Amino acid sequence: MEEKYLVCEDSLEGIFTGIYDAYALREGHEHVHIQVGEEENLRLFATYVHIFPDPVKTEKVADTLKVRLGEHVYHSLCRAAASCYPDKGEAVYKTVVDALTAGSGSRVMENLRNPYVARCFELARFTANEAHYEIEFLRFQELANTKIARDGVLFARIGPKNNVIPFIMPHFADRLSIENFMVYDENRRLFGVHPAREEWYLVTAGDAFVLKDPAYSEKEESYQELFRAFHRTIGIRSRENRKLQRQMCAYRYQDYMVEFQQT
Amino acid sequence: MDVRIAPQMSVMDKLKILGDAAKYDVSCSSSGSFRKNDGQGIGNTVAAGLCHSFAADGRCVSLLKILFTNECIYDCRYCVNRCSNDVPRASFTPDEVCELTMEFYRRNYIEGLFLSSGILYSPNYTMELICETVHRLRTLHRFQGYIHVKAIPGADPILIQRAGYLADRMSVNLEMATAEGLRAVAPNKHRKNILKPMRQIQEGITENKNEITLYKHAPHFCEAGQSTQMVIGALPESDYQIMSVAESLYDKFSLKRVYYSAFVNVNEEKDLPALAGGPPLLREHRLYQADWLLRFYDFKVDELLTADRPNFNTAIDPKADWAVRHLECFPVEINRADYHLLLRIPGVGVKSARRIVAARRFGSLTFEDLKKIGVVLKRALYFITCNGRMMYPTKLEEQYIVRNLTYQNQMGRGEKLPFMTDGTTYRQMSLFDMAGFG
Repeated sequence: MEEKYLVCEDSLEGIFTGIYDAYALREGHEHVHIQVGEEENLRLFATYVHIFPDPVKTEKVADTLKVRLGEHVYHSLCRAAASCYPDKGEAVYKTVVDALTAGSGSRVMENLRNPYVARCFELARFTANEAHYEIEFLRFQELANTKIARDGVLFARIGPKNNVIPFIMPHFADRLSIENFMVYDENRRLFGVHPAREEWYLVTAGDAFVLKDPAYSEKEESYQELFRAFHRTIGIRSRENRKLQRQMCAYRYQDYMVEFQQT
Repeated sequence: MDVRIAPQMSVMDKLKILGDAAKYDVSCSSSGSFRKNDGQGIGNTVAAGLCHSFAADGRCVSLLKILFTNECIYDCRYCVNRCSNDVPRASFTPDEVCELTMEFYRRNYIEGLFLSSGILYSPNYTMELICETVHRLRTLHRFQGYIHVKAIPGADPILIQRAGYLADRMSVNLEMATAEGLRAVAPNKHRKNILKPMRQIQEGITENKNEITLYKHAPHFCEAGQSTQMVIGALPESDYQIMSVAESLYDKFSLKRVYYSAFVNVNEEKDLPALAGGPPLLREHRLYQADWLLRFYDFKVDELLTADRPNFNTAIDPKADWAVRHLECFPVEINRADYHLLLRIPGVGVKSARRIVAARRFGSLTFEDLKKIGVVLKRALYFITCNGRMMYPTKLEEQYIVRNLTYQNQMGRGEKLPFMTDGTTYRQMSLFDMAGFG
């Protein structure tokens, strides 16, 4: 039988719409595949169907997954769908098939014998780990009083590989509930915005948007200096171990952390 | 009381002196307590804890770890802040500590505060200062993040109780594994005085648990438990002694953690070892590995060490060492063995053991599956079978397995140590030991 590729948009909506349409085809799942983003190398003897994200279909898929598989599995699938790897669409789709059609149900993420489930598990773990690192290593800086931003707004830049902002915002929204803050993902041009004592939301920056160096508050520099000094003194010289430091906190995070900036 | 004349110090100078003075305290974890924000102030705590940075020595920086003051009336020989040392002295004020904590916390630099102190005037006076600072932080600034404070041995039980209701974790340092050792290096400290607050905190926690069962909103007392630390390598104690003390602390005092701190001779004390090769980091590492075996792998100290074999093997880790001396338990069939037996296999950790138990419900596992699950096959392969088969034909023989495990170490492909070693081996290899020459 001919292979069929459903080409979806690179987003949770795209992948869930793809899963809906794959089931709607009623052709079994062996020869149907989901591909995220644009096709690069077209295969011979395969048909390509372009799928446009549809909020209604997305909602239906999300509800079914939550009810049939539980919140836990649903969140794992969302994390996998936020991955930076292009095979995520296929992994999430075939994991859903394993759960709903092959019958592993809410235990699907434990069925690591299935290569698609194992891949989905791996992608979800990578996103979860990176989100955890960003929660630890992200640094807020206090902005100065300007027309747009009131005094005391906290701002953080991050450059993660996966789309982690939706997974780190709930943590900070709880922790800093009385603060105004935003997190900016440079690789996706995505803002997570939290006004004090309100719900947080996402804002996508347009293509023309360029982040200018914002002005920081007066005290900001002195606290950065204090923390740098603390960070220097807390290490024990006779135990110095830069390799271990690098293992625990990779250079790609250090680039965004104030204590590793030379002044 | 002697009078010290010093110019007004800036917060920066104080932070440098008092951060430097606190760095030999090992504990920096922020785990064990889970609290949501109440919408009135900033902060929450996460059960697993968060490490916000890593210092040049590779240790995590989770809490703002500072001394309240490095003035001290005691003269402990291993301590940099002892009264006979001529070092710059400084003291924070409670407000300075609060401001630093709040501003660092907002910027996500730290997970909370770790407040310890030298003994200023008397244990009671010092404990009162600590309580006052933490009280201000909790009430005036409505700080809901993690707080770890030291219980000062000899302080009034009322003060320790007060601190316990404000802090997430408390700790009293045991310093030395044996009472004689402590007497030799710390003339002003007595083991009895150290164990007393430890017992008080333990009883407080138990009592508080019962209260919370009855009254849901009762205030928490040391929600994240208590910890302690021991200095390793300053005195000739054996690993067996140290681990036995740790085990009894876990069993009898219900401690959350025991920390081991490789001795650094900061005072160049002539009666304490000079340690030319740097602090005994490998020994410290082996003790931590054994500590994990006690807490998460159901091991007992007597299984790992005995009075005739009182120290850990430096060439292989304690778990592999146990396994090669108990080959009668192996090989283990991955698809049948129960969880506790899986945990005893070198190369299988808590997570992989759980995943194996969950995944084998769906069908039998192969070596390929184990790899995906996260089992370290290069260590595990000598000890396991999948569906009755071993991965490669290997001998179930102590010398053979040890040679292979340590050979991998020498090639840099074996056990990952967190620091460089000089490649010591378990047994000198000779040509006649090689497989073909037997």
